[in-house]
Amino acid sequence: MRSKRVVYVPNETSAVSLGANEVAEAIADKTDAVIVRNGSRGMCWLEPMVEVVVGAERIAYGPVTPEDVDGLIESDFLNGGKHDLLLGPTEEIPYLKNQDRWTFQRCGLINPLDLAAYLEHGGFSGLTHALESGPRGVLEQVKKSGLRGRGGAGFPTGIKWQTVADAKADQKYVTCNADEGDSGTFSDRMLMEGDPLTLIEGMIIAGFAVGASRGYVYLRSEYPLTRDIFEKALKVARAGGWLGDDIQGSGFDFDIDLHLGAGSYVCGEETAMLESLEGKAGVIRYKPPLPAVEGLFGKPTVVNNVITLASVPNIIAMSGDRYAEHGVDRSKGTLAFQLAGNVRRGGLVEKAFGVSLRNLIEDFGGGTASGRPIRAVQVGGPLGAYVPAAQLDILLDYEKFAEIGAMIGHGGIVVFDDTVDMAAQARFAMEFCAIESCGKCTPCRIGAVRGVEVIDRIIANENREANLDLLDELCDTMIDGSLCAMGGMTPFPVRSAVKYFPEDFMPPAGDNK
Amino acid sequence: MSDTDVTIEVDGVSMPATKGQMLIEVTDKAGIYVPRFCYHSKLSIAANCRMCLVEVEKAPKPLPACATPVADGMKVFTRSANAIAAQKATMEFLLINHPLDCPICDQGGECELQDLAMGFGRDISRYNERKRVVRDKDLGPLVSTDMTRCIHCTRCVRFSQEIEGLQELGTIGRAEDMKISMYIEKSVDHELSGNIIDLCPVGALNNKPYRYSARAWEMLQREAVSPHDCVGTNMYAHVLRGKIKRVVPRENEAINETWIADRDRFSYEGIYSGDRLPAPMLRVDGNWTEVSWEDALAKAAESLKAADGSSVGIVSSPSATLEESHLLSRIAEHLSCSNIDHRTRCRDFTDQQNDPVMPWLGCAIQDIEQADAIAVVGSNLRREAPIIAHRVRKAALNGSAVSMVNSNEYEYHFDVADYEHGAGLVEMLAGIAVAACDTLPDSIAAVCDGVKPSAGQKRIAKSLRKAESGLLLLGNIAARHEAFSAIRALAAAIAEATGATLGSLSEGANSAGAALAGVLPHRGRGGKKRSDTGLDVIQMLDKKLDVTLLCNVEPDADILASANAVKQLADHKFVIALTPFASDDLRECADLLLPVGTFAESAGTYVNCEGRWQSFHGVANPVDEARPGWKVLRVLANLLQVPDSDYQTSEEVRDELKNLLGDIEPDNRYRGDTPIGRPNGADAPDREIDVPIYQVDAVVRRATALQLTPEAQRTRAVAED
Amino acid sequence: MSKIQSYIKTFVLWELWQGLSVTLRNFFRPDVTVQYPEDKTPQSARFRGLHALRRYPNGEERCIACKLCEAVCPALAITIESDVADDGTRRTTRYDIDLFKCIYCGFCEEACPVDAIVETRIHEYHMEATGENIMTKDKLLAIGDKFEAMISADKAADAPYR
Repeated sequence: MRSKRVVYVPNETSAVSLGANEVAEAIADKTDAVIVRNGSRGMCWLEPMVEVVVGAERIAYGPVTPEDVDGLIESDFLNGGKHDLLLGPTEEIPYLKNQDRWTFQRCGLINPLDLAAYLEHGGFSGLTHALESGPRGVLEQVKKSGLRGRGGAGFPTGIKWQTVADAKADQKYVTCNADEGDSGTFSDRMLMEGDPLTLIEGMIIAGFAVGASRGYVYLRSEYPLTRDIFEKALKVARAGGWLGDDIQGSGFDFDIDLHLGAGSYVCGEETAMLESLEGKAGVIRYKPPLPAVEGLFGKPTVVNNVITLASVPNIIAMSGDRYAEHGVDRSKGTLAFQLAGNVRRGGLVEKAFGVSLRNLIEDFGGGTASGRPIRAVQVGGPLGAYVPAAQLDILLDYEKFAEIGAMIGHGGIVVFDDTVDMAAQARFAMEFCAIESCGKCTPCRIGAVRGVEVIDRIIANENREANLDLLDELCDTMIDGSLCAMGGMTPFPVRSAVKYFPEDFMPPAGDNK
Repeated sequence: MSDTDVTIEVDGVSMPATKGQMLIEVTDKAGIYVPRFCYHSKLSIAANCRMCLVEVEKAPKPLPACATPVADGMKVFTRSANAIAAQKATMEFLLINHPLDCPICDQGGECELQDLAMGFGRDISRYNERKRVVRDKDLGPLVSTDMTRCIHCTRCVRFSQEIEGLQELGTIGRAEDMKISMYIEKSVDHELSGNIIDLCPVGALNNKPYRYSARAWEMLQREAVSPHDCVGTNMYAHVLRGKIKRVVPRENEAINETWIADRDRFSYEGIYSGDRLPAPMLRVDGNWTEVSWEDALAKAAESLKAADGSSVGIVSSPSATLEESHLLSRIAEHLSCSNIDHRTRCRDFTDQQNDPVMPWLGCAIQDIEQADAIAVVGSNLRREAPIIAHRVRKAALNGSAVSMVNSNEYEYHFDVADYEHGAGLVEMLAGIAVAACDTLPDSIAAVCDGVKPSAGQKRIAKSLRKAESGLLLLGNIAARHEAFSAIRALAAAIAEATGATLGSLSEGANSAGAALAGVLPHRGRGGKKRSDTGLDVIQMLDKKLDVTLLCNVEPDADILASANAVKQLADHKFVIALTPFASDDLRECADLLLPVGTFAESAGTYVNCEGRWQSFHGVANPVDEARPGWKVLRVLANLLQVPDSDYQTSEEVRDELKNLLGDIEPDNRYRGDTPIGRPNGADAPDREIDVPIYQVDAVVRRATALQLTPEAQRTRAVAED
Repeated sequence: MSKIQSYIKTFVLWELWQGLSVTLRNFFRPDVTVQYPEDKTPQSARFRGLHALRRYPNGEERCIACKLCEAVCPALAITIESDVADDGTRRTTRYDIDLFKCIYCGFCEEACPVDAIVETRIHEYHMEATGENIMTKDKLLAIGDKFEAMISADKAADAPYR
């Protein structure tokens, strides 16, 4: 008897929104194949991408709609038959093949809730190593790896952990910031949906390294599917003895709770996130004391982004030195870049630092979706500066970006073609801040609202020169005076728009007041 | 130089600092002004106004002085071009949404924003869009709101969280929609909540009774001392054309820090109540007629002269000034009268021979914070002495184990370690005493007979014994208790056994002063035992005396021991009342009313519960014909031919007493050894003897705004039940 | 020579004629004397005379009891008491100007943020009894009401120079 074919259909938000559930149902109805719901491979334009295991290979078809299923069956897709949607072996798709898949190595490959598959693909080897080498060994490896926070600020993770480890307290915490609110970013979600156990493993290692027994994941409420999957993953990990009391007989206790945000962008800032976790309004706290010294409930707390924590198991498994071999200068390892906006092949690209922006957008992304020339690229979410097309050759490296007043942030790359109105984009940046500011400090609370108005006046060509000067001063005040990065960085996109695209702020020809 | 000492340089001047200090603390100490709105030395750091930005060498951008810890060798520039530019920029932002209603704003002239706008503001705003408008909140009868003026410094929010311990105010909404608000629509109700008026750097929160009645610059600021509790809170009265317009705190770290209770702040309204006695009044054939001061005093002197000393009675208020008390005492002496008392709210005088020289807290007020275990016995502390309650709360937050022993449970906004309640005070104290004492002293053996301590009582005894500096405080409820003798003996035994300090919170503002001056039937000046013990308050009421002199006493409200003091007094032959108010009570029972000034219209001295003498001048003009009480008594003394009574100033009266007293060391140790019997059925619940916070004296009872507070309404409703 | 000249001048009454020529010249010149009170000299719009309190066209009092005029008055001629009005606004309950103290410097008018207190061009007034020198709020408002046309015209005339 012929064994049943295994078909992978992603259970991941972008695939599901494009009909992956219906596709899975249709295949289950019409064939006797075993359906495995995996995570996404990160090639969003191919979603829902169906993979069939043929021999040792996985053959991909995509994007598949429920209507395509009959055709696929006719083409005998279960045996890798030819079809318009045939993409060939998944691993051979150049987009995937040319990446450095480390953190995302298992994402899309396995059923995220299948502990056996996770272990089979090298899962928990980092944690096992860590438990063997002791907290000091873990800290050393993390420091050697040169890993920096992937949430945006790029603070060296090893130093942060060392501070928490050195702090004396009866209780410490590890918190994971999954309030992924930056525009054009989705790597946290993809990882938590595609390989949640890696994050859990990373948090356990962090807890082990700093001496914390409790972890909190702060997830944005806009990710219901992620919540669903991650909660199940926590149960799976607990059932397997990898989470909870006495993990794998090591005597180390660690448990994780999942908390949902309430839709505030600023809760992605670490101190506001801690306030929110404590049950208060998501308002910034002043630093010092750093969360590493006085964080959640006044206790020393590690606050890290999903990708930072998820990178750790791999680092421990492969050793910090090897991880540090990749990347450039002080930007070590890989970053999961996310291509979005006006780009032909949107999706997730995990690549070592040092790749150029042009390489990512043109080679991986295939240029703009509209086919028009690129005009600007925004890297690092709504607070990131706009990079003009002329500077696309810049290498992705924290310091290089800082030099041109931009930031890599969380690795979100939003592409705009030449129809974009940069004045409107500048206005949007201010408007975003005016809506999302927590309202605590004066420069951000008032500056953003008035910034929108000043830009409106500039667009309306009222006292243009004076208002441009005013906008400049307003940006200075926000940068210098704001309590956190929200107000402190909102001026970056605004200023870059004014600097690189002054023509968009000019009155239409003939309209000269 | 220890490793916590660092040296920093501010504006080119190097100065010492301590690690962990914020820059602004160092600059404030050095007298270098850094503009600020949200920073307040008594509140936590919020760092949200961004006005205190200063330039720090090597820092990429200006740093807030309030939230930047000092570091050795740090170079700070508070007046450099960059610092000023940053401060000016913040100021411009703050002014964008601030309304231009300074001419009608009560904060005008004393507004931090206005002052700083003069220093850092531009003449013309470059932003001319509409300003933000916010609906006002109703925070009750004490605090008025103009929320459009708010600059979101959150001082009020932090005050309610950190000082009151009761989150009455918070911020809701975000970005420009952020508002200061109550979470539920209710008024600010805490007994210290009026302080948010002073904290608010702009005119968003203001004094409601004072609203629109004066301007900051036209009033005179005069020093005053609170007459409402034993703390002796320091305050300033702001006076316009001889009339008090408002009261604000006078900073005194040793007593009230920068806070005052709402009772102290808003009681002045009572001074101007409609029933002030305008002129001396004499009852002639049952009808009241106005008489001149000369005739009135002559009449008073004549009646006193005619009476025998033993049939004269003097009842004075525990809030009468030291000078008034001394003069009363001298007049009594001259008349050979020992029927003189100030303990109008006490009922148990059986063990009065063992009273200390004067009621005493046992320590300084600020030492309460350092106590590591505190037991408060028989006290509605927050209502009796809000400032002491705040100190106790600070102690609790510092880690002190604070326990309460009361028959009724009162609410506190900190973790009370053990709250003993539900039974009679004597019963509960006896339990603690049994747990605390290895061998029970004779005095309380009978009271403790057969008592088994409960678990909580044992814990209280243990915490006091364990403490390095324990404090056992007897409150007003204990002092008013029918079994006070037993309570005091028990408390003393507990203190003795556990090594705790025994302290008491006395009634009124000047119980200590009255005791020192000898306004007691069993003790003369300085606590000297009288050979013939006179009549106490209760006995005086019972006996139909020939002449009774009431000083600042409203019989029904102030004399707790008798349910019908007015009726009893009406049977006395001739009752002279020195009173600011012509209350119905007094009209019913007195025969001669002499209008005297309230605390604000008279010079005097109060001795507070820690034994501190605080003198003050009259701050306001007396209403109508009213005269300071000590002057009235002085003339009366002259007319009675009391020798050497030609005092010219209140200071002379005070100094005379001070010289007579010499050095007096207060001592709370209990020396009684006679067994005290079990109180039979006298262990009544506290509620019946608790005087509501806004009913403690004649002035407070007439303060309109205070009477409108939910607290006053609630206690009135309870009283009427 | 000069002696002879002087001698002749003495005899022909030269100085007298010289003086009379001035008289003659002025005899034909136009009059400069104003026949007050039948005639009056022109006044500046800025003339500072009797005070008035103004109202808004809807009848609402302008004065908001900010007491700036009281504070600025160098002669301490103004006395104000204020309170919350029935409609919740800030209003004066007393607004007295003692005309005996007033030095007509106009500072009150300068200080006023709402153009409530003004000095009108009225300068012909007198008092007959003690106490009439105190201009109460009612009297000041009555003057304002009566002369509003003049006041607003004067204000408008002066506006370009402010």
